[in-house]
Amino acid sequence: MEYVISVLVLMGIYVILSSSFNLIIGYGGLISIAHPIFFALGAYTTGVLSVNFSIWPPLALLAGGLVALVFSLMLSLPSLRISGDYLLITSIGFQLGLLEVIKHLGFLGGASGLGNIANVIEGDNRSEIFALISIGLAVIVFLFIRWLIQGPYGLLVSAMRDDELVYTSLGRNAMKVKLVIFAIGSACAGLAGGLYAYYYQYVNPDQFEILQSSMILTMVVVGGMGSQWGPVVGAVLLLFLPQAIGFLSFPPSVMAPLQGLLYSLLVIIFLFVRPQGLMARVVRKDA
Amino acid sequence: MTLSILLQILWTGLAVSSYAVLFAMAFSLILKVVKIWNFAQAGFMGLVFYSLYVSLNIFEWPMWAGVVLSFLVTTLAAIAFFHYGIETLRARHSSSLTFFILTLVVSQFMGYLFAMCFGTEPLTITKNIMSPVMLVGGIVVSHWDLQAMGLTALTVLLVYWILNRTHMGQFMSAVADHPGLARLYGIDVSRVYLYTIALACLLLTVGVYLLGLKVAMLPNTPLQMMLLAVIATLLGGMGQVFGAAAAAVLLSLIQSLSVFVIPSEWQSLLIYAFLFMTILFFPEGFSWTAMKSWFTVRRA
Repeated sequence: MEYVISVLVLMGIYVILSSSFNLIIGYGGLISIAHPIFFALGAYTTGVLSVNFSIWPPLALLAGGLVALVFSLMLSLPSLRISGDYLLITSIGFQLGLLEVIKHLGFLGGASGLGNIANVIEGDNRSEIFALISIGLAVIVFLFIRWLIQGPYGLLVSAMRDDELVYTSLGRNAMKVKLVIFAIGSACAGLAGGLYAYYYQYVNPDQFEILQSSMILTMVVVGGMGSQWGPVVGAVLLLFLPQAIGFLSFPPSVMAPLQGLLYSLLVIIFLFVRPQGLMARVVRKDA
Repeated sequence: MTLSILLQILWTGLAVSSYAVLFAMAFSLILKVVKIWNFAQAGFMGLVFYSLYVSLNIFEWPMWAGVVLSFLVTTLAAIAFFHYGIETLRARHSSSLTFFILTLVVSQFMGYLFAMCFGTEPLTITKNIMSPVMLVGGIVVSHWDLQAMGLTALTVLLVYWILNRTHMGQFMSAVADHPGLARLYGIDVSRVYLYTIALACLLLTVGVYLLGLKVAMLPNTPLQMMLLAVIATLLGGMGQVFGAAAAAVLLSLIQSLSVFVIPSEWQSLLIYAFLFMTILFFPEGFSWTAMKSWFTVRRA
């Protein structure tokens, strides 16, 4: 039972990650693979605030989201002023570079990771409460993105994504929309990171490497880029993949690459066989 | 710092830039002619390395046979990727987002495949990566340095000759300028793409061969090496194959000289700093003409 509940906690976290990534890549049409680094920034910020300052947990979670937002602007401002294509290139460098920085900073625990993060929920029902919080937060993020995309701002985002030239020729500022979308998506990833840090009470730079990028990208592509339910379906399905291959009982040195191999293979298959993903995007009638 | 130390660092930097030059040229050539940001290059670099590793360490073939095999395997894989992947998506008029995702994910797929087959420990293509050295005017020169510089110079000259002195090179320029127009003039664009891919694979094979003789490789080493190629491509100017080569030399030299100012544990971060500085200050590439006109304006 404890195992099922821990999967539910992870499910909430990954629904936040995949939905927020979908906001960036699916709705905004912005290509970045650096989503895990914002997840990491949120986790580390919350962890450090908890270890060193014993800050009130909701405040630490928000701080995690805020730090992720600020860093997202540091990535998107220089890259997007040229072209959206540059964002992918800089995002690779940004993720690998920041992880390298984290590995060298003593107060973040270096390469061995940051431990001793406060246990904010004690007692027998710890995991159940975390599962409720995680799923609750996932529902809030999902509804917020839905509200954003279905509202007037969503029309602007779709118009910008579908034809940027026409959009800018109408006097609209495409750069501003991209920055906002990217910042919101990254802040949500930061929030998920904070939750992750509180639940596991330990974070390590290796948890936010390229495998994590593959995993989130797979969730979005398999579920359906630009669809509201796609990332949710993708996250739920993909979280069962490690369990599905668990029976093979390979050593961890084989299991991790095998998992990455399956994630990337799924993306390739879906790009060719069903590019719209499992849940195809619904085109707005007023768009 | 003495002059001999400075010269030594410059020499080593120049030798190490050899494979970076070849990787940057391969990336830039594909971008110029095929018009894709080929992030799958990291996967193909891995394929060259591991096919070399298998042929030399498992089949115990001679070096030349291993190099030929890895070139053939990589070229076939790259052509298959282009034909079944890129061309299919082009026929469907897929968005640039899809191309980016495909090339990136293929690269990751190959990286995981190598990690699964060969493990995550560093591997070398030869039993011993130590190269004999000699002292020339107070500078330590290794046999590898001479081999790397010579082979790179020959390869760059070959590419120069192909691009500037052959019909295929002219066809490549025509396709790079306007594939539709080139097709109208009777150029077989698909054939030009195949030659371009083969030429890029040749650059990768020579580059990985040199890299493999010098360092042990991990499955994610090609991704880091490709990042340098991407920066050099940006810095050299989009589609400027020899500009990318010059930028790769410059980056390698700066990286080598940075030992005077940056502690060794932070050295690995330098490449990411380059990336950001390039995007911030030279997004359209480094142009001497632009620099000259900037100075002229300042002087006026």
